[in-house]
Amino acid sequence: MISEQGRVLEALLGGKFICQVSDEDAWRFLKTGGNAEALESHLNVLNRTLAKAADGDVFYAAYQTLGDAERKVLSQQFQDITANLMPLVEWLLLVQQANGADVPVTQGSAIRLGELQTTLEDTPAYAEQLAKIARYRMFGSTSTQLEGQLKQVFKRLTELGYLLKPNQDKQIYIATGKVEYLYEVLRFIDETEGLSLAEQAEQAVQQGSLI
Amino acid sequence: MNNNLHQSGVKLLNALSRHADLIMQVYLSGSLNEKQHKPGVIDNLIQLGILWRPEDSSELRLKNAVRSLLEGSLQDERNRQVDANIGSALASLTTLAAHYKEALTHGRFAEADAHLNDVTEHVYSLTENLTNNVRVLFGRINNEFGYVASIDAKIRENELAQRQVSEMLKQLELFRFDELSELAGSNRELRHLLVVTLQQCFSRVTQELAIVQARLLELLGRFREFRGRTRLLKGFLLHMEQQPDFTPGNYANLTQVPMLFNQADSLLAPASVDVSRVEHEDVLQQLVADLTVIHRNTSAQPERAAQHIQVEAQGAVDMTDDALKQAVENYFCHVIDTGQRMTALDYHTQHSLEFDPEAWLYQVIGGYQGLSEEEQAYFAIDTSGEPHPIYSGNYIIRDVELGLR
Repeated sequence: MISEQGRVLEALLGGKFICQVSDEDAWRFLKTGGNAEALESHLNVLNRTLAKAADGDVFYAAYQTLGDAERKVLSQQFQDITANLMPLVEWLLLVQQANGADVPVTQGSAIRLGELQTTLEDTPAYAEQLAKIARYRMFGSTSTQLEGQLKQVFKRLTELGYLLKPNQDKQIYIATGKVEYLYEVLRFIDETEGLSLAEQAEQAVQQGSLI
Repeated sequence: MNNNLHQSGVKLLNALSRHADLIMQVYLSGSLNEKQHKPGVIDNLIQLGILWRPEDSSELRLKNAVRSLLEGSLQDERNRQVDANIGSALASLTTLAAHYKEALTHGRFAEADAHLNDVTEHVYSLTENLTNNVRVLFGRINNEFGYVASIDAKIRENELAQRQVSEMLKQLELFRFDELSELAGSNRELRHLLVVTLQQCFSRVTQELAIVQARLLELLGRFREFRGRTRLLKGFLLHMEQQPDFTPGNYANLTQVPMLFNQADSLLAPASVDVSRVEHEDVLQQLVADLTVIHRNTSAQPERAAQHIQVEAQGAVDMTDDALKQAVENYFCHVIDTGQRMTALDYHTQHSLEFDPEAWLYQVIGGYQGLSEEEQAYFAIDTSGEPHPIYSGNYIIRDVELGLR
């Protein structure tokens, strides 16, 4: 029988994000004092180190020292992240607008596919937006039907670890900590590039621009 | 006088029940559509003080008393008003208590009784009012201001609720229990009402308000977080619209890569099956049994491709007859020569052979069966022995007799 430490180590080395939604036991294990330090020495052997994002909501393995090979991997990853930013942001906003309560998708938000589909079908603007999102390379949907597009988008997001489907028989998805990670990436880019995104949005609202 | 009051009260309540539909309609829609109802009914309701016209040109509305009665009983969450005029309630309490004490000292007991009733009524309505206000606040918190849609509206609602809480706390400070206790003096009823009941209510309400305040702050924090996130998303979208070719610098090339973008590659591949582990046997068998479709990889198997095969004569194998085989052959020849039947063991003893008798018997039987069918036809072989004493179907051969047919 594999120990909890071994299980968590395996998940980390497998490149998984550990958060409260995706793996609550492992997340609690890492949150408990001393456990993270004990894992660290194992990770260091393989040039890994434990990293956390979004105020300790998400754990993952990072490289300890960066050589050329590691940099190459990171560059590739970074390009993936930036390429996926736009579709993800558009998707997040679409879900937020369609859920009626104007509440952003955060870790633990439940999205009911059936309800979302009904709302999207009833609002042509949303349906158009979804069609645009589904055509991004990240989702790669070729379907012309709204249902097919929606299913493909959710399938891809589940594969990429942003969503979790706790019950295979029910069309209910739960957002994982990777969504929090995404917000943090956005915040980081905002600060580093000096974009002041929040101010731009506020100004646009004040000017009555359509967003 | 009392009778008169009773009658007009019943009349008012009857009117309420008779026109319940109309009143609920006005309550829900805010104002009355006068064309839909008879002028007589409307006039009657106006006279009873259920409906009123705030301005000449405006539509008829429900009187506030009726509206708050409905809001209170229906626990309607639209009820946002928190009425916390404790100062004036306390002042009227003091006055009534003074009336009561004066009546008592002058021995006017009937009058004192009426005053005490009034005081009781006031104290209870004050406590009810306070608990009601807290309940209203809690109700709004519990559904997270669900009656307004946008986050900005929720933040405004939250700010309103916070102002109301601090207002209520300020009002609660007006309670001076030392003064109230002095006022109650040694009168048991007054002390019970003014000190015990009010104090209990006071401590409960302050406690709950503290919780309300904490929850409101927490909610406000969450709403602000939500708003921040929404702005971030919208801002990014806007930015991308204005500068479609925007790409952030490649942070992976920095000397100090931010931890956020330092994400190690997946390292572990799934382990492979170890078929020599006995303890896994059950599991593996189960797995194999569960396979529904077996894909055989037929394309890439170079060892199964056609090969050129060299055909050549196989080298003849020289069998060196060993002594045992030779002896069996001699035995067969002996039977042919003499033409007599003879058992194998007799031959064995006659020629005093050195082989183990059992091996000898085996070899004789083997030798007989090794003959071609044609040659076998010359010999008759008979076995003597008995069935196994325990296991049925087994026959133990003791000796073999060979003869010519």
